[in-house]
Amino acid sequence: MRLALISDTAQALQACLRLAQALRGVGAEVALITAPELVPSLSEGIWPLRAPQATLVLDPLAAAASELLGQVDAAGVFLASPRLQPFLHSQRQAARLRRHRSTPLFTGPLLPMTGDALSADLLPRLGYDLLCLPGDAQVEELSWLIRGTAHERQAHEAIGLWSLPTRPIGHGEVREPLLVVLEQERIPASARDTALLYSRLRSLALASPSWQVRLQPDHPLPADPREWSEISLAWHHQQDDRPPQNLQLGQLADLPFCLMQASACLGISSPWLLSAMVWGKPTVVLGEYGIRTEFNSPLFFASGVMRRLADCQPLEELLQAPAPNAHWLEGLGWGIADGPQRLLRRLQELAR
Amino acid sequence: MSLNLLLVADSDSQLLACQALARCAEEQRVRVTVNAVPRDGTPARVIEALRRVGPVWNLSMRHLLAESRLSNFDAIGVYLTGSKLAEFRSLYRTSRRQQRLPVRPLFCGFNGVVLERFEEAIAWRLGYDLICLNGPRDQARLELMLRHTPFAAQRTVLTGLGRNPAGAALTERRNRLVFAEQVVMPADAAERRRMVRILAALARRSPDWEVLIRPRVAPHETTFHAVRTHISQTLLDAVGTPPANLKLSYEPLAELLGGARLLVTVSSTALFDALDLGCKPVVMADFGLRQDLGTPFFAASGLLCQLEGAADIDSLAEVPEPDPDWLRWVGYHPDCSTHNLLAALQEQTGTKQPAPAQLEHPGYVINAGELANNQLRRAAEAAIRRRDRQEAIRLLEVAQLQRPDNRNIGRRLAALRLRNPLVRFLALLVSPRFRP
Repeated sequence: MRLALISDTAQALQACLRLAQALRGVGAEVALITAPELVPSLSEGIWPLRAPQATLVLDPLAAAASELLGQVDAAGVFLASPRLQPFLHSQRQAARLRRHRSTPLFTGPLLPMTGDALSADLLPRLGYDLLCLPGDAQVEELSWLIRGTAHERQAHEAIGLWSLPTRPIGHGEVREPLLVVLEQERIPASARDTALLYSRLRSLALASPSWQVRLQPDHPLPADPREWSEISLAWHHQQDDRPPQNLQLGQLADLPFCLMQASACLGISSPWLLSAMVWGKPTVVLGEYGIRTEFNSPLFFASGVMRRLADCQPLEELLQAPAPNAHWLEGLGWGIADGPQRLLRRLQELAR
Repeated sequence: MSLNLLLVADSDSQLLACQALARCAEEQRVRVTVNAVPRDGTPARVIEALRRVGPVWNLSMRHLLAESRLSNFDAIGVYLTGSKLAEFRSLYRTSRRQQRLPVRPLFCGFNGVVLERFEEAIAWRLGYDLICLNGPRDQARLELMLRHTPFAAQRTVLTGLGRNPAGAALTERRNRLVFAEQVVMPADAAERRRMVRILAALARRSPDWEVLIRPRVAPHETTFHAVRTHISQTLLDAVGTPPANLKLSYEPLAELLGGARLLVTVSSTALFDALDLGCKPVVMADFGLRQDLGTPFFAASGLLCQLEGAADIDSLAEVPEPDPDWLRWVGYHPDCSTHNLLAALQEQTGTKQPAPAQLEHPGYVINAGELANNQLRRAAEAAIRRRDRQEAIRLLEVAQLQRPDNRNIGRRLAALRLRNPLVRFLALLVSPRFRP
């Protein structure tokens, strides 16, 4: 099968690279089309993923109407929400004008989500030929969203945690135990809360000199540290005149490798917590902020690994942290081992 | 039934939910007392309407918990915002235990349709003996959230979205369209201006109709959400001089709906009041199906209509009846009613109260955990810093209930209660500040 994957954000490009790799693994030929504004990201990438030279740079809406899409058996569309429906309409309209059959289009959330976040993400994707969801929990939520509506027969498929690295990358051998603290964009939501969290992590590092504590951003930070937001641990680390020697700041590009090396992982609601969990790393979801929709914490409500920072001391205790709730992880898509095959099978049916 | 219930609420929408519950309970000869926790800006007419149904108390949380008549009730229904819900449950049980008084079942619910933040709201409500849900839709969501967790046994009951007693409908209806305004749906100022322009244009196209915008609150009243620009101002800004047949009306919604032919809303619970009162509802779909507007909830209702493209209001009146499957799914159905709650409570009275649900489980965090005294005092100091005196008093009152012997809490509270701002300022300077 010949497929195209179309992206217009750095996050979507990463997810498409991962999906392309998985689909090639099951015999598909995959081309990547990405928006011109992503050209700088093409050379960066998150190790070990790099965009292949063959990536086509093209405005997504121009791609929708171009002859190109007629040359592939199906296309995956991973664009920012406001562009999803215009893309669908342009592509169908162009195919109609050419009197060609329109190419089957598939799309889906880039990350596992639940509740309001999932509904908001899915609404502009309705009408696509196939929705890819991670697991059965999301399929259930989709069914409530479309129940009784014009989209009631929306085709969908659960294909597992496709956008996150779930297969181990390299070896995880470090001399000193390493705690990776995943830092998210604007979570916690105020400079004061971030300052408080930084000072508590700082004390944690000081109290555990045999450990390395790494503040690991899970999103791009501006290249110039002067442009960092006060609402980031990185900013507070930079402002710290005497940061503890064992408290360092990680680079985004090293994220998967750093996680692979981690002895334990901690975060508020970063999706990378899921990677850490499926890699079997002792993982803690910070419980200090409760279940808050804007922090995406409803996703982790049933994880079984929430605890407060005060209960993480001494850090050695984390090594014995209980495993996440297996039922929950399975519902999110971890139970699906043949995601790429499932997707390919559905696309073959659509292309027929 | 011979139940005697107490309902506790503070903001207007919660009081309205209590009013609906009290009215339905009245039909089944259940005695209901409502305690409206005093709060600035609560519309007087809401309280008046409650008085017509049964006794209304106005006790603060502290006085309510110390009230000797509390033992006379068979169960207590709590309709407060998330954190106060958890606070009430925790304090009620602690104070009853301390005074060796019987603990009654506690229940809580929602004020109308739940358009967003459902999981967060449930995380505040866990630990109540009964959580009232609207219908099968919310029950499915709760089940997905709690399945395979230690909270899976949480008891719930479906109480539905019918809020007005049957038989209130009038047959004589005027050519009147009532628009139920909501303060944050849409929230964007430009969209709100567009909304009133669409209504004004529709009124101009329909000279035989009267269009009444029913503001959610009057300009001086408050509701759960902060209102930046009142709809009366938006109307002035966006339309200038509205057509003669477009007006604002502050009449009670039920009265307006009783005599109107059409109700239009973006996503208000008023849609179900309209159904109760025999008024035809239409969902304004001009802004599309968007999670932030709450409109996806109505997607399958069969009531969606683009007002901008409608020829006139007569054409809106052609919108079909709501889809019966959808009504049942969201909880507007005889199977989902207050009767279920009363039956469940009746079953519990007389029997030995089961031990309250265990809320602390390793690996799980809920919003409704037991309140730590230090946490309350820290929050009170933060409230003092941002000059929110009422909130600081409330938090310290709660802290004092937990630890009545702590003299520092007493001193800080006494300082806050001083009326003269200068004296209060000085008293706050000298009274011992909480330092964790």
